[in-house]
Amino acid sequence: MAYAYLFKYIIIGDTGVGKSCLLLQFTDKRFQPVHDLTIGVEFGARMITIDGKQIKLQIWDTAGQESFRSITRSYYRGAAGALLVYDITRRDTFNHLTTWLEDARQHSNSNMVIMLIGNKSDLESRREVKKEEGEAFAREHGLIFMETSAKTASNVEEAFINTAKEIYEKIQEGVFDINNEANGIKIGPQHSATNSSLPGSQGGQQAGGGCC
Amino acid sequence: MNFFRGVMGGQPAGPQHSGVETIQKLCDRVASSTLLEDRRDAVRALKSLSKKYRMEVGSQALEHLIRILQTDRADSEILGYALDTIYNIICSDEEEEQDESEDAAPPLSGKNRNVPEEMQKQDDVGAQFTERFVQDPENITLLLTLLEEFDFHVRWPGVKLLTALLKNQCPQLQGIILVSPMGVSRLMDLLADSREVIRNDGLLLLQQLTKGNAAIQKIVAFENAFERLLDIITEEGTSDGGIVVEDCLLLLLNLLKNNSSNQNFFKEGSYVQRMKPWFEVGDDNAGWSAQKVTNLHYMLQLVRVLVSPVNSPGATASCQKAMFQCGLLQQLCTILMATGVPADILTETINTVSEVIRGSQINQDYFASVNAPSNPPRPAIVVLLMSMVNERQPFVLRCAVLYCFQCFLYKNQKGQGEIVATLLPSTIDANSISAGQLLCGGLFSADSLSNWCAAVALAHALQDNLTQKEQLLRVQLATSLGKPPVSLLQQCTNILSQGDKINRRGSKVQTRVGLLMLLCTWINNCPIAVTHFLHNQENVPFLTAQISENLGEDERLVQGLCALLLGICIYYNDNSLENYTKDKLKQLIEKRIGKENFVEKLGFITKHELYSRAGQKPQPVFPTPEHMLFDHEFTKLVKDLEGVITKAIHKSNEEEKKEEEVKKTLEQHDSIVTQYKELIREQDTQINELKAQVASMSSQSEQMQVTMTQQITQIQQHKDQYNILKLKLGKTGDQSASQGEGAHINGLQSEELSQLREELEDLRRQHAQLQTQLAEKDTLIGSLKSEAASPAEGAPDNTELMKELDTLRAQLHSQAADLTQLQTERQELLRKAETAESGPASVDSGVDKAKVAELEKRLAAQSAETQKLQGEMKNLTGGRAGLESELASATSTAAILQAEKGKLQQEVQESKKEQDDLLMLLADQDQKILSLKHKLKDLGEPIDDEDDLDSKDQSEDDDDEDDEEDDDDEEDDE
Repeated sequence: MAYAYLFKYIIIGDTGVGKSCLLLQFTDKRFQPVHDLTIGVEFGARMITIDGKQIKLQIWDTAGQESFRSITRSYYRGAAGALLVYDITRRDTFNHLTTWLEDARQHSNSNMVIMLIGNKSDLESRREVKKEEGEAFAREHGLIFMETSAKTASNVEEAFINTAKEIYEKIQEGVFDINNEANGIKIGPQHSATNSSLPGSQGGQQAGGGCC
Repeated sequence: MNFFRGVMGGQPAGPQHSGVETIQKLCDRVASSTLLEDRRDAVRALKSLSKKYRMEVGSQALEHLIRILQTDRADSEILGYALDTIYNIICSDEEEEQDESEDAAPPLSGKNRNVPEEMQKQDDVGAQFTERFVQDPENITLLLTLLEEFDFHVRWPGVKLLTALLKNQCPQLQGIILVSPMGVSRLMDLLADSREVIRNDGLLLLQQLTKGNAAIQKIVAFENAFERLLDIITEEGTSDGGIVVEDCLLLLLNLLKNNSSNQNFFKEGSYVQRMKPWFEVGDDNAGWSAQKVTNLHYMLQLVRVLVSPVNSPGATASCQKAMFQCGLLQQLCTILMATGVPADILTETINTVSEVIRGSQINQDYFASVNAPSNPPRPAIVVLLMSMVNERQPFVLRCAVLYCFQCFLYKNQKGQGEIVATLLPSTIDANSISAGQLLCGGLFSADSLSNWCAAVALAHALQDNLTQKEQLLRVQLATSLGKPPVSLLQQCTNILSQGDKINRRGSKVQTRVGLLMLLCTWINNCPIAVTHFLHNQENVPFLTAQISENLGEDERLVQGLCALLLGICIYYNDNSLENYTKDKLKQLIEKRIGKENFVEKLGFITKHELYSRAGQKPQPVFPTPEHMLFDHEFTKLVKDLEGVITKAIHKSNEEEKKEEEVKKTLEQHDSIVTQYKELIREQDTQINELKAQVASMSSQSEQMQVTMTQQITQIQQHKDQYNILKLKLGKTGDQSASQGEGAHINGLQSEELSQLREELEDLRRQHAQLQTQLAEKDTLIGSLKSEAASPAEGAPDNTELMKELDTLRAQLHSQAADLTQLQTERQELLRKAETAESGPASVDSGVDKAKVAELEKRLAAQSAETQKLQGEMKNLTGGRAGLESELASATSTAAILQAEKGKLQQEVQESKKEQDDLLMLLADQDQKILSLKHKLKDLGEPIDDEDDLDSKDQSEDDDDEDDEEDDDDEEDDE
């Protein structure tokens, strides 16, 4: 359970674009074709490894419906990363990205890493938004971009991990103030200690005992 | 200023109307004065009046005060006064204090304060002004922005005002705060305020804010509330901390109670581990202040919220696991066995341990291993049970122990076995007190509460456990000296049959209800136990008597339970006792009680007012010992049985028989189902085998195909070679078959044969020519012979003339004979000449001699010629033999080639056949795979849709099979 860093994520985007399914695929590695509407916000967590370091991701999956907008806004400030999701088979969800982005930029801290995700890439036959359009939008707004499929798990892992990598790099560059937990980043208990990892230090003690 | 001071000073003496007037004037001042100082003084004066003239200030000044909040943002002093004043209007200090004490009071204290009527009235005033304030949501937004003001004089009253507003108009305010951007986040920042007063009041504010609103609870949790609150608790010294710790705990409870998302977050954030040090309470008796008791109480509550039986099983299980792994359960068990722990903390600890171990095998096993630090060490379970059957222990503690015991046995067959084993003759240890002994002691003690608790505890040891139900039948009790031992079952019914005459402290009904619940649980779903019960001739008459009697209100429950017991005796009767078969018992009911009456009595159980309450949650909680009648698990049993027993009673014999048949068919179905299951299992293994086979087959077929292609290329090569040979043969054609060796590998020999035949024909023709030539020679020789001297001239190319040679030889012989004749003639002539005259004779002889020499010359030439001919003949014969042998070898090569060709053709045929077989096999396999896929799909394995579509076209033949499998699945589902 020991981790070097803890990152808080939020998942935002129109209703029905597959936010909850992305989270479920990432945390439980399964796909649920029929999913209830998310009420407010739901929580999920998973451990990943970046650069040999254990990183805990705490992910808040928000309701996409307009009626929950005001509630979900409360989650922007404390998040280090956001997955902004649209549905490649529904042009309107792509058209709403600007609103979402404005909302996110307005309420979040300026360093929040935003990953643009075109979900449902498995439904190529029903595609309404070209991949190039997504890429262009991301380029224009300085976002990372990826097309995923929560159904086939394609790129899901990558989406979450690449976001974490971006945050991690920002930490290395000193952009993030990691001591302010309001940024959605927390240093793990073991990381602040002198020993780099808990199992390692235990092993060290055992070895030391053997020597003496 | 003086004027105001005068007013203020004169307040108590002054009449009411002057106060109203003053307030009016002050309000005008606030509204119209352009000088900030004037307004500030006016607001300050209003503030000082606001407590006494709450109604007046509220009704006249509220609007003005709100305007001050909007306009005088720059002056923190006036803002502070305005906020204070509004606060005073909305709630009086006394009221607030009271509220707070109500919140802070440990739930166990159970004080019931009567709120004075006047206070109630003031409350209404507060609610009224709250409503007016909240009416405009802008006011709340304004208040939230004011909280961002760092100045203590603004922030503190702001926090208090918002708290008071939340208390009065919670849902409405929650709604407004929720939708105002960053509203909750801003309030969360209060916890980080360096000024303790604000932080502490922030806690109270958040407590109100999070009440019953999951969305806000989640946002607060998202804003790192758990982390901060746990930090504060640690900073304040955990349970030794003051009321701040209590406030933190109350807020934590708000955040976690009935909020699965937050519970999950709490567990995922490894906060469970941080709770463990809370319970490291020393053994010292000194440190149990009232605050500490309260703090610890809430800490225990917090643990219980995470492992509550009402949570989803998965969530509870994972928290239980975490609590064992981090040592929290162990710590709680230490408190359980420690001395000097206040009774209510001990009680709550027992309840907490109960829920931490409930249904979790590892935790239950650990609990079974806990020993009390006594000498000799006794199992904690035994020590606890001692308290349960001890009349002097507090009622709540005894209930807690019962709950703990129930949770220990919940879904714990191992634990049930261990408890029942302590009662069995073989395992009884006479030297130490066992759980079984304590339970028996409780069952037959003179205290009805102990009877009830022990009966329920024992029932839980039998719950859903047929083995233990049967084991417990073996238990025999020694009642008094000299009398034969009585079985436990019998002893229970004996006590029951004493009816009202039993002598018990407490409620006699309680004892009987307890025993009846135990008996019902015991014989339920256990025909052997039913038979044991019916075996005693007195039991059935007692039950029928109880049910048929017209008893008072408080006996109705006992009647209902007796009906239930009799009902179980019918429903789970295996007809092994002749006197008490199903039919006979039903006839008995019909005659002695009446079906309708029986069902009505049975219904008394569920109609009892305490029944539904016990069904709500597993923990036995009763306001008084008298209310202790129903057990949670037992209510489930009643729910299951009431319907089936009613049906069983109403059923006629025929129906019963039908039912029996149905049962039989059901059993048959069951067996069919099991058969199908086995079939499926077999098929499963078959499928696996077949899969392996398919794999090997496909690899084999691949290999085959490879060899096939190799062979085909080989054949092609052979063909090519043959064609080349053919060409070559065509070229060499008549010359000779000497190149036949090149064709011995392969080829189409028929042509070759015909060629060879032609050659043969040629040879024959040659032969014929030779013969004709020979014949010519014959004639020549003949002419030679006739000439005798004429040399034979034969064609040099005459060959193969053995016979002729013979004839030649014969000719030669005859010629030689002629010669010798001639010689003898000459000799005669010579002799004649010698005898007669030598002259003429010598001339004659000279002529003769020349003639002879000539002849001899001719003869020599002829014989040389003959020799030559003979050599030529020999040469020809040799050439012919060579040709013949060549022909023979060519024929044999042709034969070999023919044979080889046959073989190859056969091989081709065979490989073709093999290929066909393989294709057939592959097709079979394909179909099998398809059917397997179908099966897999039916079983819920995801298969590519495309495959399915493909298979659908092909698999019509498989449909039958599929249907069968579907049936299997359906059976399986059943």
